[in-house]
Order: sequence, then structure tokens, then C-alpha cells
Amino acid sequence: MILDALDLPDGHVLDADICVVGGGAVGISLALELRGSGLDVLLLESGGEDEEEDTQALYAGKVVDERMHSPPDRYRQRRFGGSSTIWGGRCMPYDPIDFEMRDYMPHSGWPIGLDAIQPYYPQANRLCEVGRFDYTIETSFDQPSRPMIKGFESTHFTTDTLERFSCPTDFHIRYHERLASAGIRVLLHANVTGLHLHADGKAVERLTVKTLADKKGAGKTGAGKTGSSKTLGVRAKRVVLATGGLEIPRLLLANRDVHANGIGNAHDVVGRYYMCHVAGTIGTLHFSGGGDAVWNGYDVSDEGVYCRRRLALRPETQRAERIGNFVARLHFPRITDPRHNHAVLSALYFAKPIISYEYRKRLTEDGPFSWATWLHHLRNVVLGWPDAAGFAWHMLRDRKLAARKFPSIIIRSRSNLYSLDFHAEQAPNPESRIRLGSDTDPLGMPRLEVDWRYTRGDVETAERSLALLAADIQASGVGRFDYDPASVEYEMTRYGAYGGHHIGTARMGTDPKESVVDTDCRVHGMSNLYIAGSAVFPTSSQANPTLTAVALALRLARHLKEHIA
Amino acid sequence: MSRHILVLGADGYIGRRVMAGLAGSGWAAPVAAGRREVLSSPHERIRLDATDQVALARALAGVEGVVNCIAADGDTMIAAARALFAAAEATRPRIVHLSSMAVYGTQTGEIEETAPLVDDTGAYGSAKIEIERLAAGYGPVTVLRPGCVYGPDSPQWTTRIAGWLQARRLGDLGAAGDGIANLVHVEDVVAAVLASLDKPRAEGQAYNLAMAGAPDWNGYLFRFAKALGAVPIKRIGNRALKIETKFKAPPLKIAEILARKAKLNISLPEPIPPSLLRLFRQDIRLVPTKAERDLGLAWTDLDQALAAIAASL
Repeated sequence: MILDALDLPDGHVLDADICVVGGGAVGISLALELRGSGLDVLLLESGGEDEEEDTQALYAGKVVDERMHSPPDRYRQRRFGGSSTIWGGRCMPYDPIDFEMRDYMPHSGWPIGLDAIQPYYPQANRLCEVGRFDYTIETSFDQPSRPMIKGFESTHFTTDTLERFSCPTDFHIRYHERLASAGIRVLLHANVTGLHLHADGKAVERLTVKTLADKKGAGKTGAGKTGSSKTLGVRAKRVVLATGGLEIPRLLLANRDVHANGIGNAHDVVGRYYMCHVAGTIGTLHFSGGGDAVWNGYDVSDEGVYCRRRLALRPETQRAERIGNFVARLHFPRITDPRHNHAVLSALYFAKPIISYEYRKRLTEDGPFSWATWLHHLRNVVLGWPDAAGFAWHMLRDRKLAARKFPSIIIRSRSNLYSLDFHAEQAPNPESRIRLGSDTDPLGMPRLEVDWRYTRGDVETAERSLALLAADIQASGVGRFDYDPASVEYEMTRYGAYGGHHIGTARMGTDPKESVVDTDCRVHGMSNLYIAGSAVFPTSSQANPTLTAVALALRLARHLKEHIA
Repeated sequence: MSRHILVLGADGYIGRRVMAGLAGSGWAAPVAAGRREVLSSPHERIRLDATDQVALARALAGVEGVVNCIAADGDTMIAAARALFAAAEATRPRIVHLSSMAVYGTQTGEIEETAPLVDDTGAYGSAKIEIERLAAGYGPVTVLRPGCVYGPDSPQWTTRIAGWLQARRLGDLGAAGDGIANLVHVEDVVAAVLASLDKPRAEGQAYNLAMAGAPDWNGYLFRFAKALGAVPIKRIGNRALKIETKFKAPPLKIAEILARKAKLNISLPEPIPPSLLRLFRQDIRLVPTKAERDLGLAWTDLDQALAAIAASL
């Protein structure tokens, strides 16, 4: 059942067995998994069915160093479906090594292993619509696949693992019907501002939910068109925060009526250890051999899922080199430099104004305008117009109009020239943090202040991995990888933290001095408050977080079903 | 000594299989009843208008059991059922009536046989409900409510779907394929008919017929496509489905009618009816445990069946 808080009378109180706060990929997955359990589930969603400017503006906040992190109202969406509405769709599980306590990686080690999450990955795969849970090339395909780089033998990297791409699934659209028909209540326009604890500070008694003033008559029945903000209450046996890695610390830190430092924050851990990923595009790869020497495109599984191989740093190498997890993909040359002489890339240079902020940021870059550059791009497009037209048709048919979208721009290089796109683990660092700023939003909630930091160790992970890759390519005689080793730190921070991955701000652990939630994702010291999402991940892996966040939500659903009889 | 069993609608997809099943049972002597004259039938056969009560009464002489597999328009099905129950009053044979999951209407969730019958899907469902009501008045009847009957040559749930999968007009339907495919293999329907005639406890009962653990429609379409080699499947979005039902289906239907009237022998692509897409979304699961328990049914393995079907196409 989909309800709207704007239709409820001011002061109304709702009761539920389980209240899930946040209707994004994680909150929706959790609610769907609780269907049929007999539990009365209430899902509170701040936004409505579409994007609303005033709701989205509640995400605005400050960034300490604007070069290092995008504004907090970018790369996340405050609406039904959450940030899955702008998701890129890349899925892969965490690797076993990501859960290990690694003495060279400070604050590493999960209190649970991959085996605790593994049973939930297949269903997470289904919800994310990425086919069956299978992430190696040999087992995912009946037919032998083309090698990624012909003749490439590497002791440090494997090209056998895959990433699978979701449609990308907009969880709001995809699961709307199931949420509307099942024994779940979804309440839209419901902004949780207050988590009110029992006097002993060990349980959430009540939630305060506020609406923004209903300017457009967004409520369905019109009963709520009073034009003013309303305050509602929720009483639930269990409360799950699924509002994402930035909003979870905001809620915990802003509620201080019983615990002076905020909920779960007796030891000043909430909001710390904030990780994104470090990523960059670097160097030039020259491969020898003919047109079939390199395969950097997608393989399509029987389910129609786009799958792509990548270069993944082997776990034994990570241990031997004492560095973090790392993957890399073959990428096209830098778009803005017209010397690539490629019509498609120059066409993308001109298409920049129509590409959304989140995708534009890493695709193109801002720089001083030069007529010479502009003319060179124009020349590339004019001379290579059949390529540009073919590419435009491919993007129209396979991406714009397709229900399952071609995931990214793939440029086959006739001259076997590529750049390298890498994505690496960021070490947990207590100095990298989210805190409350001095401003408040229209609902009276303190706004966020983001202070993202990276460490020397993060740079070393990228530097060592790139050096090993260059050596392996050279040694196997398939070509050459030229890059400037002195530019690695610059390139991996050129656009700041990788956007949209908000990890570690309410980390899981057994010791309340160093963590926020226990192995059941329950906030230490609280009997009925849980956290779902990548906020609880103690480490960041090389993997994009969505699939694992959904798997952990399914695991939490199981816990809730078993423990709320 | 063999028991005489009259099969009404014996020329239909299920009727033919029931005839074969009875003939091979060792205990039944089936008699096929159909409107058409058939010159070389492998079984004993009578020509019969099933809505003709007098003719039916004649045909029932010496018959111990009747299987009603008549598939027609609603009025004809009701007329035939009326005639059957009236004609049967004289000798009161056991009757096995093939009803349908359509009697549950648009209900969702787990549906047992005790669920209400809901008349909200149109003439076919209305007729099936009316006939069940008539059956309850007669008495010694077993009502079978199959879901979607698939099997080799099943036009409705097998061959036309294979065609749409091969043409990539069906595939991964997203939310439009989240409903449950309450599939039942035609041989399992036959087994249910035989058991219903044979087991006294089935008298006066209704049974859901659908494989246990039936997949959703997306799952069925994918497994079928895989068996057919029609992979990778395509994600079919809402826009494409709307084009199918709103823009392609009406002209195709008109063209088909015109071609038939003009006696033109042309083959047109089959339209995907909107009613089918509604079913693909319906989150209804027939609970089959009663049939498993009372009739001793074990459901045909879906993937094995699909492999055999694909090989036969």
C-alpha cells in the first residue's frame, strides 16, 4: 500500500512491527524480503514518486575541500527509489580478502566473513536484475569467451572475474507494484527527524516524522493541502535506518536528547572512517597484435545481462605487496584531448552539456576553453562522421531506447590504444569523516559537513598496482603500458572521491569503542535500532557497494523475522 | 473388466491426451465424443453435440465415468454442462470436470481450493464459475482447476510462447513478468483425471493443478528460451509491451479476421493479447498440496519437460 504523509492529519501516530527508514535499493529490498512474514512493515520515504526540488534540497550541505568531494546533494537522490534512480548499475560481490584483518591495512577486518553474506548474494542478484550469481568468465558462459588481452599472462592480475550490469534497476519503478500490493505500507513525503529514545537510552520509543509544506498539492486526496508542514509520529518494535551512508550519521548525530554525543556515538565513531573509492584514468596502453588482440567490450549472458571482464589484483599479491584491493579496465583515451583523433570521443566532447552531472564529471573535465582544441574536435567529428553517426545510432537503440541499457561507452581502438581506468580500495581512516555543520535545513535538521580524506596507503595501493601491471604487460610481451608514476596521486584525486559510494560511517564490529553496529547490524547498546546499507561496511573493497548493501539488507531481514516473534 | 469412460471434448488439446491416458491405463475403455466425424480414430468414438441432452443421455448408457474437457465459448460450455448434469441424473456416473484457475479471478496471494470464486475477468471465468455451481448441484463430481497447461504442442502455453520468444517479442519482462506461472504439464492433468476417476475420496472435491514451486513468468520465459536456444533473452520494456497490445494487436486481429473471411491462406504474426499480459503480472499462486495428497500427483520436472518440448519443435 502506498500512502502519502501529506494526506494524514497533523499529529497522526502510526504503529508498526518494523519501521524501515529510507526507500532506496536497500530499504526496498529489506521491505520486500519481509513480505509474507506476518510482520507489519512501515517504509518511510522522504520523497515522492518523482524528484521534488525542495525535498532534494534537504540533502544540501558543506564540503570541507570542494575539490575532494562532490556536494552532498549530488550522487544521491532523496525520492522513492533513492539513488537507484540514477544508478550506473555495476555489480560485483566483495572478495574473501576484503573481510580479513590485514595487518598492513589499518582498521581492517570484518567481524563476519564472506560466508555470512554469501547465502544472500543470489537473491540480491535477482533484485538488482543482474542474472545468476556467478562472477567468473568460465562459469558464467557456456561458450568460451574471447580473452581480454590475448597472450597476457600475469602473476599479479587475473582477467577472469566479471562485473555484471543492472538495467540499471530503478527500485521504485521496478518494485512499485509489489510494494503497493503486499502487506507493506509505504509512506511518502515522510522525513524522519527525531529518534526518541526510552529514558534508559537503550531503545527507540518513537520517531518524529515531518513533511515539508505541500506547495503543489502532492498529496493524493487533497486532505493534506493545508500548505503547512506537518508532524507525525511512528511507534515501532524495531527501527531500521536505510537512508544511505551520509544520512545515517546525520540522523544518529542529530538526535542527542538522551545521549549527549548522539545515538551509538559514545565513543565518537559515528560518521568517521568515511570511505568512497579512489579511482582514476591514467597512461597509455599500446597492445601489439591485430584487431582481435584485445576485447574490452561486454559479453552478454543468457539472461541478457551485460558482463565485462577487468584486470583484478590477485589477493596473494595484495598480501605480498601489503596494499589494498584494486581493479582496472581498458578505457578510451582522454576525451578532452583532441589528439586522439577519434570522431566519437570528440562528439562526446560536444555532447557534454546534455550529459548529467554525475556522469559528466568523470567523462569530461572542465578546463580553459581554447578555439584550437574546439576546432580540432570539430575536425575529428567531420572527418570521422560515419563512426560518430554509427555510435549515435548505437547509443540511441541500445541505451536511450533500450529497457536494459548498454552500460557505458566502449570505443574499440583500431590501433589498439587505450588508457587505463582504475578503481581501488580506500583504507578506513578515522580522520575521514561526516559531521554536523552549523546550518539547519527547513525541517530543523543540522546540515552535513563532509571531510573526506585519503591516506598515503591509498596512493600506494594505486601506485604499486599500476607498476605491477606495467611490468606484467611488458613481461608477457603483449604490449606496453606507459604512464607517469609521479602523476598517480594527482590522477586518482583529479575528481576527488569517487561519487556515490558512501561507506563505513556506521561500521560493523564487536568492540563498541571502534564500531557502531554489531554483527546483526544492530546499534551497540540499542535493543531495537538497526542500520542497513554500506554505512556498516568496515572496509571498502574494490567493489561497488550496492550489491553487497542489498545482500546485507536481506540478511538483516532474516534476522528480524527470526527475532521478532 | 474395463470401465467405460466417456470423454467430452475429446478432440481438444487436453481431451486427446486424456483419451490416450485412459486407453493406456489398463482399467478404462474410453469413448471419445466430439462434434466432428473422424474416419480413422484409434479409439472408440461417437459423434455428439454435447449441448443435446437427449443425445447425451443415450451416450451415457453403460458409462461409469465422464470427463468433461469441453473448451468453447462461455454459453456453449454452460449449455453443455447443463445438458450433461441433467442427462446424468438417470445413471449418476462419476464426472470429472475440467474447470480452470480463471474461477479465482484477479485474486492474488496463495490460493487454496477453499478460496472464493471471483467473477471479475470476463465471460470465460464467469462460465467456469457457473458450471462449478451446476456441478455442486449434481454431486458425484471432481472439479479440476488447472493453471496454465503446457506440454508438447500446447498452443496456448507452449507453441505460441516459443514463437514469441524466438522473435524476441517476449523475454525478460521486468515488473510485467512478476506474476506466478501456475504451470501444469498436460500429462500431470491426465494423471489427475485418471486418479479422480479411480479414487473414491476425490468425489465432491475440487483440486488446484499447478506444479509445486512454480516460477514467476520471467523465470518460465527464461527457462523456456534457454531450452529453445533463444538466448540471450531481451529485456522487454513497458513501451514495447504497450506497442504490442495497443498498436500491434488490434490491426493483427482485424487482418486475421479479414484473411479468414476472404479465405486467404496467409500467416500473420500472432498478436500478444492484453489479457495475457495481465496474467503475467498477477501474483497468484495456486497451492497444489491437496492434489498431491489426495490424487498422489508428482509434478513433471519443468526443465526436463521444456527440453523435450524444444526438441519436438
